[in-house]
Amino acid sequence: MNRIEAKLAELKSKKEKAFITYMTAGLPDMEGCQKIIKAQEEAGTDILELGIPFSDPVADGPVIQDASYRSILKGTNLTKVFDMVKELRNSCEIPIVFMMYYNTILHYGVEKFVNTCSEIGIDGLIIPDLPFEEQGELKQYLGDEKSPVLIQLVSPVSKERVPMLLKDARGFVYCVSSMGVTGQASGFHKNVENYLAEVKNQSDIPVMMGFGIKTAKDVENVKHTIDGCIVGSHFIQLMEDAEYNIEKIKNYIIEFKKQLNE
Amino acid sequence: MSKYYGEFGGQYVAESLMNTLEELDKAFEEAIQDPEFWKEFDYYMKEYVGRETPLYFASRLTEKYGPKIYLKREDLNHTGAHKINNVIGQILLAKRMGKKKVIAETGAGQHGVATATGAALFDLECKVYMGEEDISRQALNVLRMEMLGSRVLSVSSGSKTLKDATNEAIRTWAKEAEDTFYVIGSAVGPYPYPKIVKTFQSIISKESKKQILEKEGRLPDSVMACVGGGSNSIGMFAEFIEDKDVELVGVEAAGLGIETGKHASAMALGIPGTLHGMRSYLLQDEDGNVELAHSISAGLDYPGVGPEHAYLRDSGRARYVSITDDEAMEALLELCKLEGIIPAIESAHALAHCFKQAKEMKKDQIIVVCLSGRGDKDCHTIQEYLTGNKEALNK
Repeated sequence: MNRIEAKLAELKSKKEKAFITYMTAGLPDMEGCQKIIKAQEEAGTDILELGIPFSDPVADGPVIQDASYRSILKGTNLTKVFDMVKELRNSCEIPIVFMMYYNTILHYGVEKFVNTCSEIGIDGLIIPDLPFEEQGELKQYLGDEKSPVLIQLVSPVSKERVPMLLKDARGFVYCVSSMGVTGQASGFHKNVENYLAEVKNQSDIPVMMGFGIKTAKDVENVKHTIDGCIVGSHFIQLMEDAEYNIEKIKNYIIEFKKQLNE
Repeated sequence: MSKYYGEFGGQYVAESLMNTLEELDKAFEEAIQDPEFWKEFDYYMKEYVGRETPLYFASRLTEKYGPKIYLKREDLNHTGAHKINNVIGQILLAKRMGKKKVIAETGAGQHGVATATGAALFDLECKVYMGEEDISRQALNVLRMEMLGSRVLSVSSGSKTLKDATNEAIRTWAKEAEDTFYVIGSAVGPYPYPKIVKTFQSIISKESKKQILEKEGRLPDSVMACVGGGSNSIGMFAEFIEDKDVELVGVEAAGLGIETGKHASAMALGIPGTLHGMRSYLLQDEDGNVELAHSISAGLDYPGVGPEHAYLRDSGRARYVSITDDEAMEALLELCKLEGIIPAIESAHALAHCFKQAKEMKKDQIIVVCLSGRGDKDCHTIQEYLTGNKEALNK
């Protein structure tokens, strides 16, 4: 069974909410990145989003843009991330979702990309510049049991598109909390609660909320309508501020998870 | 309605923009069916932009090179280039859609100035995104936009140039689409933008076709235009695409030479990719990151190209060539001296190719070149270039 789906089924039976983090691959360096992933598994992160850096991250705010840029300067590329995950999989079973832009996949070769993901154990894909209508090319290679699931994104203005997006969706549904890009300070969309409830109501699979979340408090009011949440920009900033101190990173995860499930 | 040009085009944008694009597509298709919309567009083209622009017979160039050379004088438009045609069209569309604000990206500042101009004319709030590098290189255009009442926002991410200014405009659009219209400056971006830009720029070839038939009683043998994103060229080609005997030639910037890697010829390498909402040919490195374009002409300095051009190339209907910085500058100076016209460096790329190809053509053949803009904005660049190449001026 796909690691994401297995993990989410387990959480459901325990009546727990999922805690998902995002980190840019290759920071502080490849080795450090691998250590942090292992530490996250120990601390209880349920699913890990691993960002493949791209030169033009149009769906990302300043924090992830900057992280992406720094990682590229350090020489991070898809092949090196594949190598790192391959090694990691000897001792780590945390579900991993690649968050990446479509050009990186096109350039690598779509079929070869999916095969490599299946081979080394990438469990899901989030591609923010590949809307439903453009997914056909990629989906033709995703049928296999071992292949990653394609995570569907839903926005506050998706409205009548929601049934189409949810049909055949796998893994979880990624609800973005606000318009625009990751890591905004401006707060959630004004109708966020109704919107989440509507998606939750129509979805057969777990619903996660992301964009602009820093602490468990931020999701307190909408907790009953979601199955978990995703922390990206804040998590990257926190790691940077903590100079990638493993204990500080673990403490943040443990604390967040505790509050999320209180 | 297909959103693709062969395998190119499409809508590679965030889910949150899909409804926005649908709304735009609907509004655009309705507008172009509405005679009132075109009446208003034509009014501003004539009374404000100063159309129609002449199709000028360049007698001294013709004398020197052989075939008859005609120049479509887009440089004589208000604001000095073809960019205003598209901006007026898109802003009329924005008004029709009830939008109160517009945003735009700009590289050298020409599209920014055109958008600021349109926004002033129609009383819309306007923000222009411009790379930090470009802001310092194009101080005069920044001043122009500010005089016209627009805000110029400095973009300091990535390469700090047009590519990143476009990223930032897309990010802002994703946030503010409810009341904001994104005025894209070239024949690029997610569908329907390439179609919108082509529709409004096709006024160039509509006029040219009528004018050449009046003057020569026949269609030209060859039509040429420079290609960055490809808006003046798609406008210059549009009405001739169905006339299979008319050769269409797009001229990209070869910068310091294709072999140096410092160029802006997305077509020359022919590697497809996705950027700024579209699938097209794209300059990229071995990891699939977008590579910086290089050209002495800021307006051609773009790593991608409009999707319809990619399709015209692959289908063989149009031919794409490239011209180096040096070749373009030589052609620019020649036009100054032989015809008394200072062209934009962008347009000089098309001219340079025209001079090359003319040598292989017969005297009774006809070439139409789109002179997309005037060179006043480039005088500083030209001065710097000449300081380093004294011999160029005396050639």
